[in-house]
Amino acid sequence: MGELKLVGKSLLRIDGPDKTTGKAKYTADRKLPGMLVGGILRSPHPHAKILNINTEKAEKLLGVKAIISGSDTRGVKHGFVETPRYPPDQNILADDVVRHVGEEIVAVAATNYKVLNDALNLIEVTYEVLPAVFDVAEAMHPDCKVQIHPNHPKVKDDFCNIAGKTETQWGDIEEGFKQADLICVDRFESHLRTHGYLEPQTAIADYGGDGTLHMWISSMGHFVKRKKLASTLGMPEGSIQIHKAYVGGAFGGKIDLFSHEYCAAALSIKTGRPVKFVATREEIFTAYRHGQPLISEIKTGVKKDGTIVAQQLRMINNAGAYKGSGVVVIFLAWGFVMLPYRVKNFKYEGYSIFTNNPPRAPLRGHGAPQVRFALESHMDIIAEKLKMDPIALRLKNARIPGEELPNGDNVHNCGLQACIQKAVSKTDFSKRRHCFPNTEKISAHRPIKHGIGLGVSSYFGGSLIYPNSSSAIVKMNDDGSVDLLTGAIELGQGSETVLCQIVGEELQLELEDIRIISSDTATTPQDIGAWISGMTYVTGNAVREAAGGVREKILQVAAEQLNERVENLKLENKSVLVAADPAQRISYRDVFNASIANSRGDTIIGKGHWRTMRDEPFHPSLATTKGRWSENYAFSVQVAEVAVDTETGEIKLLKATTVHDCGFPINPQLVKGQIDGQVSLALGHAFMEDVMMKNGYTLNPTWLDYRMPLIHNVADSKEVDVITESYQVGRSFRTKEVGEGLVSAILAAIANAIYDATGLRMYTTPFSPEKVLKGLKLLDENKGLR
Amino acid sequence: MKQAIELIINGETHDLFVASNVTLVEAIRDNVGLLGTKVGCDMGTCGACTVLLEGKPILSCITLAVECNGKEITTIEGVSDGVTLSNLQEAFVRKGGVQCGFCTPGMILSGTALLKKNSKPKVDEVAKALEGNLCRCTGYNRIIDAVLDASVSTSHLQDQGEK
Repeated sequence: MGELKLVGKSLLRIDGPDKTTGKAKYTADRKLPGMLVGGILRSPHPHAKILNINTEKAEKLLGVKAIISGSDTRGVKHGFVETPRYPPDQNILADDVVRHVGEEIVAVAATNYKVLNDALNLIEVTYEVLPAVFDVAEAMHPDCKVQIHPNHPKVKDDFCNIAGKTETQWGDIEEGFKQADLICVDRFESHLRTHGYLEPQTAIADYGGDGTLHMWISSMGHFVKRKKLASTLGMPEGSIQIHKAYVGGAFGGKIDLFSHEYCAAALSIKTGRPVKFVATREEIFTAYRHGQPLISEIKTGVKKDGTIVAQQLRMINNAGAYKGSGVVVIFLAWGFVMLPYRVKNFKYEGYSIFTNNPPRAPLRGHGAPQVRFALESHMDIIAEKLKMDPIALRLKNARIPGEELPNGDNVHNCGLQACIQKAVSKTDFSKRRHCFPNTEKISAHRPIKHGIGLGVSSYFGGSLIYPNSSSAIVKMNDDGSVDLLTGAIELGQGSETVLCQIVGEELQLELEDIRIISSDTATTPQDIGAWISGMTYVTGNAVREAAGGVREKILQVAAEQLNERVENLKLENKSVLVAADPAQRISYRDVFNASIANSRGDTIIGKGHWRTMRDEPFHPSLATTKGRWSENYAFSVQVAEVAVDTETGEIKLLKATTVHDCGFPINPQLVKGQIDGQVSLALGHAFMEDVMMKNGYTLNPTWLDYRMPLIHNVADSKEVDVITESYQVGRSFRTKEVGEGLVSAILAAIANAIYDATGLRMYTTPFSPEKVLKGLKLLDENKGLR
Repeated sequence: MKQAIELIINGETHDLFVASNVTLVEAIRDNVGLLGTKVGCDMGTCGACTVLLEGKPILSCITLAVECNGKEITTIEGVSDGVTLSNLQEAFVRKGGVQCGFCTPGMILSGTALLKKNSKPKVDEVAKALEGNLCRCTGYNRIIDAVLDASVSTSHLQDQGEK
């Protein structure tokens, strides 16, 4: 393998200068002549019948240009999932019933915000308020009087308000439990958090005279957005162009089609003028999507030697008023359970339950943090009961390279065992664990207890969801520089930099010689988007193929010009040269001209496409988990070192060590950036963030009250690579996921570290001071009783 | 009621006629047309809209434009000429302090103001100066590194990579 020039190097991100100088354009930075502003009237009730909508007074207001309500839409529903089992269930604007606070009812376009707000205030909606249910246990109770939607027709359980169910099993669960020396039962609960992207939800639509609907959207995948806009608007995909804009963070919260995006389009079509929607932060907190609270009930049977012989789980998700991604998270939760450890006999049930809360979206990790928090806490509990080293318990059951998963996937060069071993040695884990409740007295009255804990996680990289494939084009310019056309969307992860590094490696170009044209549905090819954790792998391989096509053409033309065989040539510094006689060379510029002269005008364009699991027709069944899920799984182990202030209940994450198998990093600095961000997100999950809701209303809809990590809440974040794959020019590569899989094990590690420090087992998130103090007090009392 | 005001933004004088309830960020973005200043919450909680007023960082989404009459304002466009980056801008890129970029202009202005009055800040001083700026992507470690680095280093973008 030759030495790599760009791939594997921490090259500086190419969007850095634009983003540090204010030149980078986000959606709201697009100013169009005559642009109107749009806004949405939302339901103040968690559950109500709409008896009447009167927009007369608002329509008369000077400056109001258009008003639409449900009856003005085509009535085509949309949803995060749109499959035969889970058909779309959300209206763009409500029909006759609203099912959560903030549900969209009427949209207005006006000349300015003053008029807009006056108009929204003048719209009269008459409601008949209906009883509502918010708590998942109440909603699923067979006697629940509130039915938000009819039960899923294919789920025959006695429960109420079932949005969806995932069930699967293998082996013989009862026989498995019979073999067990120890059966351990636990229940864990994760709370409601939100994405906290800095850039608000924003969309601009301009239905100009050219017959094309031009849009700018703060999104995570323009092609999936366009698909849903096309179906709801009743327009062909090709007549909608979503243009490039930088995206100010998303973390899962900008995938779905949102009502404001449709309304911007519909109101622009109606008025013939550009329309802009920017959601207020309060709207985002109260009416847009949050993450997924999850209940995990686990029963595990183990042998004395630690072998897991049976595991039975029930996961329950509070989906909110529509299916959203709730019916997906119960599928994914199964996956995040079964990936790291071998379990011979297994039974899984996941329920997604409707409640009168706003519907949910994926939030970085999409169920994995909740699941791994539960499972890794459970593993430590089992280890203690078996009087076994928790590391030995994990190593005993952890996947090994080449292992086939129960769904037929393969873990290939799985680095999990190596990750566990490295994590232990790098942190001196075994020595320090339990040595820790070493109390350090900060003052006479505030004893701080230290602890260390570990968690394991795994995440899939890319799966088959629309559009199931990424394509890319690389075309050469006269001077030998190239343009890369890709649908990949830059939302902070560094996609543009990584993809240019791949092109540069294949063509031996510097980054300055590569211009990237990205995320524009009219000028760039289809792309899977930045929401299925496969951008570097799927789009990256498509880009590699496209650049490879250019390389092959360059070599072919150069071979003819130099009268030499292709195998004897090499690329260097925008030239092709004879390896054995470097004086014999031809510049890319001359190659370009020679190609046009001698190859029937070929201007040297390379095309590439990539589809993960190319022989699989679909995404696996959300109902049964049958079918292949992914062809590359990333594995990680994270270690947390915490300090618990037993006086105040406050906990600090002092250090997070992330040991991960991402295959290989294309840009180590960008990988490190992903890790740091995820550790920070987990820190917020563990200690700070909590969307507090009462009767469907968000009680803390600002960043003053929803506490996200500030610069004062920083954990030391260290990283250790476990390299299991490699990059070779001209060959497909297998990178693994780093964008969202590393929020999970660390959360579990924190919980285990708290236990190590204090003996307090956390069964619910967040690990708030109140909960910790209460728990410590209870522990003390129980000690007194003994 | 509208009022005639003069804002000196990045050394250039702008004569505006604005209603008294127009915020400084609206004046900067909508009237003057400088779009580098970002609005993340429009309620003074995230720091994305930070600009310098007479050299001090302020939240332009909760500052009225008319209050700034005759005053000097620095926005992200005024931190450097946009071609040669300032030490701090360059350090943000080199140290990985930038991801989605939406908080970056505000971060850089808070950091620039700090470095102007304290050329060798300690970690806790950096944290204090940037405590009003939310970042969801980086976990802040690299941002702290960038500010510390800018205070000691003058190396350039060409000096690529760490590993």
